[in-house]
Amino acid sequence: MTTTTDILTLAAAGGIEPGAGLTMLVPVLTLLGTLLCGLCAAFKVKSKLPAWLSVACLAGSFVAIAATYADLGHQQRLAHGFEWINFSYTGTDGQPVTFKANFAFYIDSLTLLWMLFVTGLATLIALYASEYMSHDQGTGYCRFFAAFNLFVFSMACLVMGDNLLLLYLGWEGVGLCSYLLIGYFYTRPSAVAAAKKAFIMNRIGDLGLALGIMLTFVHFGSVEYAVIFEKARPYIDALKAGHLDEIPLVASFIPILLMIGAFGKSAQLPLYVWLPDAMEGPTPVSALIHAATMVTAGVYLIARTYPLFLLSDVALPIVGWVGASTALLAATIGMAQFDIKRIMAYSTVSQLGYMFAGLAVLSPVGGASHVFTHAFFKAMLFLSCGAVMHGFAGQLDLRKLSGLFRMPGWKVVSVAMLVGCLNLAGFPLITAGYWSKDIILAEAFVNMPGVGWVLLITAGLTAYYTFRVFFRVFMGPTHYEPGDEVHGHDAHGHGDAHGHDHGHAHHDDPHGHGPAVTATAHDPHAGHDFHPHAPGWAINTVLAVLALASFAIVPLMLTGEHHGWAGGMVEHSSAAYHTVGTSGYLEAAHGHGPHDHGHTHGHDHDHDHGQAHGTFLGMDPHKVMYYVSGVVGLLGIAAAFWLHLAGRTSAASSRADALVPAMGPLAGWARGKWFVDEFYDALIVKPLWVISHIFHVIDTLIVDGLVNLVGWVPRALGGVLRPSQSGQLHGYAAGMAGGLALLLIIVLWVTLR
Amino acid sequence: MIERLAFLWPEIALFITTCVVMVVGLSRSTGVRRLSALITAVGLAAALVLAVATTPKAGQFAPADGQTLFPDLPVFAKTLFAAVGLLLLPLLVGTVDRDDEREIAAGRRAFDPLRSNRAEFYAFYLFSLTGLMLCASASDLVWLFLALELTSLPTYVMVAISSRRHRAQEAAVKYFFLGALGAACFLMGFAFIYGGTGTTRLNVIADVFAASGINPIALAGLVLAVVGLAFKIAAVPMHFYTPDVYQGASPSVAGMLAFVPKAAGFVSLILVLGTVGWTHGPGGESGHSLPESLRVILWVMAALTMTVGNVLALLQSSVRRVLAYSSVAHSGYMLVALVAGPGDGSAASNGLAAVLFYLLAYGVMNLGAFAVLASLVRRNPKDGSADEIDSFDDLRGLCATRPFHGWTLVVCALSLLGFPPLLGFFAKVPLFTSGIAAGEYTLVVILGLNSAIAAFYYLRLVQMPLLEKPDPTTPVPEPVGVPSRTAAGLLSAAGAVVLIAVAGSLFDQAHRASRDPRTVAPARDAAGEPPAAPPIAARPE
Amino acid sequence: MTTALAATDLGSYLPIFLIVMMAITFAAINIGASLLLGPRRPGETKGGTYESGMNPVGTARKRFNVRFYLIAMTFLVFDVEIIFLFPWAATFSNLEPMGENAAVWLARIGFFLFTTVVMYVYGVRKGVFKFD
Repeated sequence: MTTTTDILTLAAAGGIEPGAGLTMLVPVLTLLGTLLCGLCAAFKVKSKLPAWLSVACLAGSFVAIAATYADLGHQQRLAHGFEWINFSYTGTDGQPVTFKANFAFYIDSLTLLWMLFVTGLATLIALYASEYMSHDQGTGYCRFFAAFNLFVFSMACLVMGDNLLLLYLGWEGVGLCSYLLIGYFYTRPSAVAAAKKAFIMNRIGDLGLALGIMLTFVHFGSVEYAVIFEKARPYIDALKAGHLDEIPLVASFIPILLMIGAFGKSAQLPLYVWLPDAMEGPTPVSALIHAATMVTAGVYLIARTYPLFLLSDVALPIVGWVGASTALLAATIGMAQFDIKRIMAYSTVSQLGYMFAGLAVLSPVGGASHVFTHAFFKAMLFLSCGAVMHGFAGQLDLRKLSGLFRMPGWKVVSVAMLVGCLNLAGFPLITAGYWSKDIILAEAFVNMPGVGWVLLITAGLTAYYTFRVFFRVFMGPTHYEPGDEVHGHDAHGHGDAHGHDHGHAHHDDPHGHGPAVTATAHDPHAGHDFHPHAPGWAINTVLAVLALASFAIVPLMLTGEHHGWAGGMVEHSSAAYHTVGTSGYLEAAHGHGPHDHGHTHGHDHDHDHGQAHGTFLGMDPHKVMYYVSGVVGLLGIAAAFWLHLAGRTSAASSRADALVPAMGPLAGWARGKWFVDEFYDALIVKPLWVISHIFHVIDTLIVDGLVNLVGWVPRALGGVLRPSQSGQLHGYAAGMAGGLALLLIIVLWVTLR
Repeated sequence: MIERLAFLWPEIALFITTCVVMVVGLSRSTGVRRLSALITAVGLAAALVLAVATTPKAGQFAPADGQTLFPDLPVFAKTLFAAVGLLLLPLLVGTVDRDDEREIAAGRRAFDPLRSNRAEFYAFYLFSLTGLMLCASASDLVWLFLALELTSLPTYVMVAISSRRHRAQEAAVKYFFLGALGAACFLMGFAFIYGGTGTTRLNVIADVFAASGINPIALAGLVLAVVGLAFKIAAVPMHFYTPDVYQGASPSVAGMLAFVPKAAGFVSLILVLGTVGWTHGPGGESGHSLPESLRVILWVMAALTMTVGNVLALLQSSVRRVLAYSSVAHSGYMLVALVAGPGDGSAASNGLAAVLFYLLAYGVMNLGAFAVLASLVRRNPKDGSADEIDSFDDLRGLCATRPFHGWTLVVCALSLLGFPPLLGFFAKVPLFTSGIAAGEYTLVVILGLNSAIAAFYYLRLVQMPLLEKPDPTTPVPEPVGVPSRTAAGLLSAAGAVVLIAVAGSLFDQAHRASRDPRTVAPARDAAGEPPAAPPIAARPE
Repeated sequence: MTTALAATDLGSYLPIFLIVMMAITFAAINIGASLLLGPRRPGETKGGTYESGMNPVGTARKRFNVRFYLIAMTFLVFDVEIIFLFPWAATFSNLEPMGENAAVWLARIGFFLFTTVVMYVYGVRKGVFKFD
């Protein structure tokens, strides 16, 4: 543990209390990274220096977190940074109210779980990006890594902050970094549009979160978790005793508002549409921010404030149904897309739906475990897609790539992709994704069987579309066409238009000879002159590490008494607050405690709230779900194999094309992403546009007039006063004396009145 | 008597430094002459350390030995003055004698002590700061008057020698005569206060007021003193000199003028009004207010000062005049908190703490704006002569052409505007909260309106460097050759950002510094220290 | 410490009144006596500004060398110093020789003299006393 000791000495030298200092190193190091990358930009560094600086800072952060975990285990600690905001005022009832928000970290196992994979993955992905972004060395490279570090800083504030305000700071910070990085190729209109879309969509959610935080402060008088949870305890006790009506209505609004924030950040219905477009950003960004970490912030928020979510009897059911619907909807869209990165984006939306459903069915363990496993395999999937895109000049259309597995230099990528797909599809027993998904499914059938069924169907669809990508791109006959960025840009420049074009074009042309194929014939760079370049050591290393890691966490999923290691981390945090100290209350309130799943389940079936304990076709979900979900996953893979690999001779077409006409308009709708974007456009954007034009007229005529008047008044006043500043000494002296005389008269008047 | 020395160590350090600088600055050797700025810095640093380390705090001295109205004020104020003084120094470097020294270095001229102003410049700066610190520990009206004059007199000369242009001399003469008028006004006020109470000791005056009320003579004295002190803070109706003097003086000295006399004026106002206390009037439910007549004139002054400063700033094309008028407006903002007074013991209602904290913030962020003006010149392409930049057009595209200066100006202007989350915002919030706590709703509304008007011209200071493209037909402003001024500006901008982190604790310090044992019951002391002073009845005379 | 002014006790102003009266009387007697007793022989020389010595030449509103002001100011400083030194010296001898008050008083005048010395050194270096 020499590293730890060194850091401890460093912390002690800085006057920080050891322990507190270790976690405080994360914001310090990442801010330092941001600053150094900024300096690199200022000094126009043209080498890979910013990448190495970033990797060093992020690795340092990871080590600090790991050391804290080794030190702390499942204990909790408050690490105080500095006093940030602290002021008091007299409330409406005459009592002093203090608003306190320190820059302090609340470290418990939930925090550590999140930070471990955030910093770990960030380190790996920064390493990957050092190669991936190398075509852009210069200020763009520095900008990328500066924002990258700033993102990890914001994420650290979000996850580790001991109060909701610091969480909000981090929440907005990651939103900002996401915006900056989606719009990284700011010369491309589609990237700019996607960045704006993400930002604006998130604003809607953030409004909910902000209102939720304000309401929390108004109701509980604090934004600090420790205080809030303590004040919420009587309510939980009331809940435990079955007196749901003792909880004030105001308190039950808090989770609903927080939930809206979570929906925005984690791309759930109805706010999910920004995430697929966010793929305009460089792939490492998609992997880290829009797949593994930032989008799970909503899950974190709900897990962290889980005690509050118990206060409302509608919040969790809403979360469950929204999550399940999102999962199904995104999966159906994913089945019909051709852009592999976009398919991965929809799969992210879908898997986030799983996580929310997991939280909703009283299984924060399942939700958080799935976050944990998903972070690994989804990052891997994205990085693999990125490697393909990097190598094939921005080509992402699965109809134009085939059989990469047999091409020299693409073995690591293919294997990594296979491992990722197996995880995502929930291949039984050997994949971590299978185990974490299973917890959610089982718990869903116990608590909300409807949600369970939706999720089960989704699991099958997921397996199908995942392996559709794998079988089309990596297996079958070798064939490729380069993308339109022949110089190796991270381009995918067709972006948003791409999806739409194919969505409509192929509706008329079921044989798959889309306009893209025709277009390449005219492309001077296309065809056999093109030589894809296989990924280099950095990309291969990162992919290999991630592939190994995703297997290495399988044993972690199976050890311990709380659904493995990740589950244990959740069980010892506020996400399981309802079971700590008020043991057994959940059995009374909801009929089932997450920690007894698989062990003691079935001993206790009397439910106060009247919801029947669900079963799976009359069987105990906890026992049969292992088999059912495994079978469903295998079925999906088999379908994909039959439709997309068996007997396929070209890259462009497959047996599935024959099915398209049979499905009628459904296939077209799915390709068109159920026309949600168009729906929003017609329902919200267009009316707003009309209203804004009406207001513009009112604005120019009336408001501007008023504003100009307001602006004119001070100027006119100034014009009146201006002659007083004549520059004449005696004039000034007279002015002073006159002013004094006037003031004396005022005093006289006031005294004699 | 000798115990009073404990209050004076920082001043003594400054005085000794002054003596050394006066002699060193006139040395025949160029190298030795160059040391004067460094010696000044060392003296200021020593004063800073001494101010923190030796100034007695509440409970560490008997009431007869020192200033007892606000027992913790000296330590806060002196530390603040020494720190801002240290920050101002790099801005002032190179103000005088630069051309002469260049000629001497080139061997074209011999050193002529009568022509050299370096020794006087630094010595007067130190004198002025000495006076400023003496204001903070004044326990007596005579002391206060002498301290105020020690602060002001050197600044008149500094204005005169800051530039070889006639405008500087004109400004100095105006400043001197009008300053004398102001000084006469508050000296007369002090005399009337003495006439009405029979003493010049501030705490005894407070006892007399508490015991037998404020008689008309003393009231007239208080009004005259307040209006006279308004000259120091550039408040209406004593504000007329501000734009002419700020524009006439070199920008570096103008930067100093925006802080030093203002700080002296506000500290003196707090002390003078402290004798009356904020425990009189009908002010709100807590009964915390000045006597009605004083409240009314301060109210009128605050409202007029803000408004006049801001509306006149709107019309200016000279950046320095804008900053001068905005300096008037900032005094108006602070007067709002002065009307509000120390409040009910909570930090948010404490207007005096708001004033002290605002002085700190204003001192830090205003310096940056002047530093940018002081560190750039525009060279005339025809004859090669260099002019100080002064118009808005000179700032066009500065962020692109001179990034350090441009961004310094952007950050400082935004902070002066009170743009969250910069320091100026955190300084402005207490002004509002204290005004609201005191029930001065109308005044707070005027304050809000004026902050909006100020946005017009401050945003121009942001827009010009940041958003406008540099004019290709005019030459880019050149650095003036004094890198320390750029550094002062950067420090100021950094301060406007970094100090946010410690704004809370700094405000707590200001809150503690403005604690008046008379108005706040010891039980309410947040710090849990023993009561700072015995009750009024037990205080020895 | 007395906190009330003895404004009504006019008796304390009697010495001042007497001095003023004596001054007026002295001046009046002198002017009156010279008017009454002096011989009167008006003429060119007698009507001049200075009866003896040189005749005044040119206007009085001429510019003086700036050194005169420097000398005048230096003189003023020493003059003020003497004004302070006399009463100090007169009082100091009455203090208890080795008492605490004596030390404080000595330190005070020492400080005051020190400032004068600094002023003098400054003046010398500035070249105030160079007449070339």
